[in-house]
Amino acid sequence: MTTRHWKDYLARRIMFLFCSIFLSLGFFMIFMLYQRSKPIFALIPLQDLLFSSNWHPTRGEFGLASFITGTLWVTIIAIAMAVPLSVLTAIYLAEYAPRTLREFLKPLIDLLAGISPVIYGVWGMIAVVPWVRDSLMPFVTERLPSVFPFRSENYTGFSALAGGIVLAIMTFPMIIALVGEVLQGVPFGIKESSLALGATHWQAIKGAVLKRAWPGIIAAIILGLSRALGETMAVLMVAGCSLGNFPKSIFDSAYPLPALIANTYGEMMSVPLYDAAILSAAFILLIVTLLFNMAGWGILLRMERSQL
Amino acid sequence: MESKTHIGVRDLNVWYGPIKVLNHITMDIPDKKITAIIGPSGCGKTTFLKSLNRLIELQDQIKLSGQVLVDGENILDPSLEVTHLRKKLGLLLQRPQVLPMSIYDNVAYGPRIHGMKDKKELNELVEKYLKLANLWTEVNNRLYAPASRLSIGQQQRLCLARTLAIEPEVILGDETTSALDPISAQQIEQLLLKLKNRYTIVLVTHNLRQAKRLADYVIFFYLGDVIEHGPAAEFFTKPRYAKTKAYLEGRFIEDFKIDGEVSLKLLDTLEDSSQLQTILHQLEMGKILKILVEGEETVRKVSSSLENEGHSILEVRRLNSTNWEMIVQKQHVSYNI
Amino acid sequence: MNWRTFEERIMKALMIASLCVVIGSLISILLTIVLKGLPAIRWETVSQTPQGGYYIGKEGGILNAILGSLLLGVGATAVAFVVSLPVAFYLNLYLKKNSRFSYTIRFLFDVLYGVPAIVYGTFGFTLMILWGLKASLLAGIMTVAFMIIPVMARGMDEVLKMVPFELKEASWAMGTTPWETATRVIFKQALPGIVTVILLGFGRAIGDAAAVLLTAGFTDSLPNSLLRPVATLPLAVFFQLATPFPEVQERGYAAAFILTVLILVISLISRILSRQFTRNVVR
Repeated sequence: MTTRHWKDYLARRIMFLFCSIFLSLGFFMIFMLYQRSKPIFALIPLQDLLFSSNWHPTRGEFGLASFITGTLWVTIIAIAMAVPLSVLTAIYLAEYAPRTLREFLKPLIDLLAGISPVIYGVWGMIAVVPWVRDSLMPFVTERLPSVFPFRSENYTGFSALAGGIVLAIMTFPMIIALVGEVLQGVPFGIKESSLALGATHWQAIKGAVLKRAWPGIIAAIILGLSRALGETMAVLMVAGCSLGNFPKSIFDSAYPLPALIANTYGEMMSVPLYDAAILSAAFILLIVTLLFNMAGWGILLRMERSQL
Repeated sequence: MESKTHIGVRDLNVWYGPIKVLNHITMDIPDKKITAIIGPSGCGKTTFLKSLNRLIELQDQIKLSGQVLVDGENILDPSLEVTHLRKKLGLLLQRPQVLPMSIYDNVAYGPRIHGMKDKKELNELVEKYLKLANLWTEVNNRLYAPASRLSIGQQQRLCLARTLAIEPEVILGDETTSALDPISAQQIEQLLLKLKNRYTIVLVTHNLRQAKRLADYVIFFYLGDVIEHGPAAEFFTKPRYAKTKAYLEGRFIEDFKIDGEVSLKLLDTLEDSSQLQTILHQLEMGKILKILVEGEETVRKVSSSLENEGHSILEVRRLNSTNWEMIVQKQHVSYNI
Repeated sequence: MNWRTFEERIMKALMIASLCVVIGSLISILLTIVLKGLPAIRWETVSQTPQGGYYIGKEGGILNAILGSLLLGVGATAVAFVVSLPVAFYLNLYLKKNSRFSYTIRFLFDVLYGVPAIVYGTFGFTLMILWGLKASLLAGIMTVAFMIIPVMARGMDEVLKMVPFELKEASWAMGTTPWETATRVIFKQALPGIVTVILLGFGRAIGDAAAVLLTAGFTDSLPNSLLRPVATLPLAVFFQLATPFPEVQERGYAAAFILTVLILVISLISRILSRQFTRNVVR
């Protein structure tokens, strides 16, 4: 083999190696987290770990329920707000906006994606929390009955709602970009034929384009969910994170799983099994996001493939 | 024999950005006949077709001017409700694009968006038009299966059924059979012949034989201009103009080499007519003269007198709403005594 | 006006309203940071490290965090680049475009792309405990690098995908090996795009807080060793805002401002570069 071919051969092998190293590290991460959380799985039955809200590490009680619920509250609020807003924005940009406007707005929206999570947290503390505390909560408790999602004793404004709002804005750019791509992938003929039959623009979108695009939109939502689940910093700064509090209202403070890990990593070596418990929380987070990501990307990649 | 006009095109111009794609198109499309629009690729046929139902506006940077009169109403008026127009003029595209839903829903899509909700009515409509499109026997046992599973010939018939279901007056077809296998193509052609008496049909095709088979009236487009149009029988047997003859014979269409130019203003006065005679007299045989005239009347008068003298009229082209350009080739000298 | 036009108008209004909410949030965030942060900046903020009593309101600045973030960012981006570029090239050069294998690899990278920062941080932390290491700049660099590799690999993959096939074809037709084609032809064509991706990775690296919290620690001194903890801007913001002293919180806003400006500048440069890139790509 000539030197040229040698170089090529070597380059190819090295590239493949790098690929494998990285992917193996990924698997190693899953394995490692599982290993380190095994002690807790061995000791406490899974349903206690997940469904009990008794979190007293010093007493050996490790129920993650309040944290899981906190995560769910914040995430669901975020998605409930982000999805309609993002999908509508994406449809507008792809189908209605004049080209110059679209070219101008897209980079701006991508800018939202680049902003550091801590900045979101700062903004949340300055703008969202006081608004919840001073305007929204009094408004709601006066006008609406003190019923399930709204009743709360927490008047600080550091709440699941604040976390949800901040998180929603963090997920905008991702969902908008993904839905935009999906809409672009719908063959032009579908819109053209619908309009040729006399449909209005929205009728063509609703009745034909979206029918083709909806798996991709679902995928975008799933990926947005996954992103929201794992966000740590911004939520930590505005959601309250008070121990021993089981959130029952959007105004209650929430303590999501990622925040738990961030707050307690320092002390986890001090109490037996504490580290395994925290790592189990990380492991659960990892598995859940992996599952969501596989579902989301699976759908998207298959859609892309079928368009070839 | 005068036939009724369904669509009247008056001085239609279409620009795609800075490029002009259609020049001063003026003609009438006869009612309840098949009109074939022929010509080489890229000459504006599809643009013309899609201007009739204003679907061309979907593309970026399209500008239209002029008038298109359907039943007397100018449909290029910006205040017109476009969705109603498209209900009157149905369009069948080249590649059958079935909508991502069941066969039933594809046909019912049109009526539904125009407001029909009654289940029974929809069922009847779907059956009626699937039968009319010759598809019923093949699909009536799987109406709710996805339309994408049909063969391409079946898909095109489905698109036809779908278009018919909105009960249009005009059917526009853009190369409707060029993506199909010969058998499916034949089926579509037979369907169109069957539908001729109930609908005005305008077909764009680059297949001359298909045009000969189907057309009652023919329009020949070349590079954005209408070169010639007329009843099919005459058109194919006795084409008038040079470029038409070239196209029909399969020859490469060449531009004319102009040897002289003259401009006749106003109507033909004795002065103008003698001026024309003088110039023609001075021209050698076989040379080509370009004559600029004003007004359609003048065009006709000049054409007939020149033809009487035995010269060949190679082309008559409209330059704008009043001015025309005639290309004449001197043949021989003959005096009318 | 019938119901169809009515429906169309309502939907359009809703869409525009959504757009306004999205853009409005962006503007609100940027405005807040500027209004709160800009007035709080002094010369000392960017030129000094925290002096004694900084966290209760006394003198000092956040030079430690600024330099720390820059070092961490550059380090992590460099490491990630070294891994992700070969991966992207491998996918685009040696593997057939739609092979099962490339599909799988891309899928795995995309899946890892979505793993939360805190999980990467925990992983890094666990390894540190296992090997008896303390929080350090190096640990931070490696963890953040690991985190941004999927981001950069994916970005570079997209960039390389855009290089027209004809270019590769033309090169191979002359008898060059894939490696030579890569280094001599493709790289040059793709360079602006690659730089854009690097900047993107860098932006993610300096903005992250969750992963560095667990691995890089925090310190008041300037970064002086790979094996010592290092301060980062996001954490500086976080810690300063967590105190009850308004003077310290002010500085937190200043730090937030600096961080945001950094990220905005990076975005701007990468936007300009990517426009340059797409202009030159022949399709």
